Amino acid sequence: MKKINPSWKLIGVLAPIVILAFFYNITLNFVIFGGCLIVLAFSKIRWSTALKIMIPVAILAVGMYVTGMKFHAGANIGIGTSEGFLSDVAVENGLQLGSRVLAFAGLGLLFVTTTDIMELVRSLEQQLHFPVKFVYGLLAAFQILPNMQQEYRKTKAAFWARGVYPAAVSPRLLVPLMVKAVRWSEALAAAMESKGFDEKAQRTIYRRIPVRPVDYAFPFLTTGLLILGLLFL
Amino acid sequence: MSGKTKRYAWQLKDIIMIGILGVLFALIYLGAFYIGMALQGALTPFGLAPFGLEFMYGVWFMAATLAAFIMQKPGVAFVTEVLAAFLELLMGNFPIVITTGIIQGAGLELGFAVFRYKKYNMLSMCVSAVFACILSFIWTYFTNGYAALEVGMLVGMFAVRLGTSLLFAGVLSNLLGKGLARTGVLKGYPVGAKYVHQDIMDD
Repeated sequence: MKKINPSWKLIGVLAPIVILAFFYNITLNFVIFGGCLIVLAFSKIRWSTALKIMIPVAILAVGMYVTGMKFHAGANIGIGTSEGFLSDVAVENGLQLGSRVLAFAGLGLLFVTTTDIMELVRSLEQQLHFPVKFVYGLLAAFQILPNMQQEYRKTKAAFWARGVYPAAVSPRLLVPLMVKAVRWSEALAAAMESKGFDEKAQRTIYRRIPVRPVDYAFPFLTTGLLILGLLFL
Repeated sequence: MSGKTKRYAWQLKDIIMIGILGVLFALIYLGAFYIGMALQGALTPFGLAPFGLEFMYGVWFMAATLAAFIMQKPGVAFVTEVLAAFLELLMGNFPIVITTGIIQGAGLELGFAVFRYKKYNMLSMCVSAVFACILSFIWTYFTNGYAALEVGMLVGMFAVRLGTSLLFAGVLSNLLGKGLARTGVLKGYPVGAKYVHQDIMDD
């Protein structure tokens, strides 16, 4: 999985997700989740990272399961009524909703744990021909992330020192950060342009992201498997 | 400004700015996400878990309405939302954020389009938030398989999402935008002239 071209991998994961959104099939959902885990088992991924990602997913899946069980279509029990209506339909409904979360998460995990983000960005530029202005603008903004975290803490500390305790999304706290955002964007753009960044100029590629015929086949493979699953499961 | 093309063209600093705004709101969203998760866990026994994340759904739309308010040109809301989605992907979120971002971006853009890109105020930002809320809810309806749920529950979830969309992307974004414009850093943008008290002595 790690060797598949990131752009085509993205397409190959997104296509089944979009199709899957319109179908209800518990067995298929579990098969997809299991299949993804099996592929991951052969992909030399870091399981600690995968586990960390799976914690919120598990909370979501269980939450959706209980919701689907208690408030299934046609139950008409209303919010606040006590349980006691746990029929087979209810359990099936719960599984329906819970397993969907797992299926989507499996596909997501497949992508996230096997893709290097820098390679993804380079691939978006090289294979999908995203405008360079957007690719490098995106990268520049992404690199600001730690500064932004630090700035957020600093601004909050500055308010606390004055005995003011603003809420997490209070305009008082956010406006200074946005002022920074505007200043940073101007400075970064000026820095990039002064060093010769020009979107129209012919660019040479230092790190080439390879594309093999297998990569083009990947989206067709995933979508094909999903259609087979929809037909036979 | 010389003609139409220049006004609608994207400058590098514009792209970086909406990117950084996207980063800022992604951080806020991340913080809210943990609270939402805890809430979700707490609500699970009552079967109300999905409400845990609905409460802060509007934060998703903030960067886009704010960017549109600042730059006031067609396409800003859509591009900001999609760019923010790619940023989320870089931060390690699942690829599904891309499709979600495209759908929400389309809704946000529609809100400004119905005013023919002439109005950038609380009203148009709220309308934009409402459209984003509706489109995103339709998408969630399919991804989360909400057809299997009771109608009353769906109405409840939609109401909560609508409320947070209006609160965050409509009202709060508007306040933030005005506050930012008053500081004077937006002089180079269309919104700057409207809110800054121009004083010759200042310069």
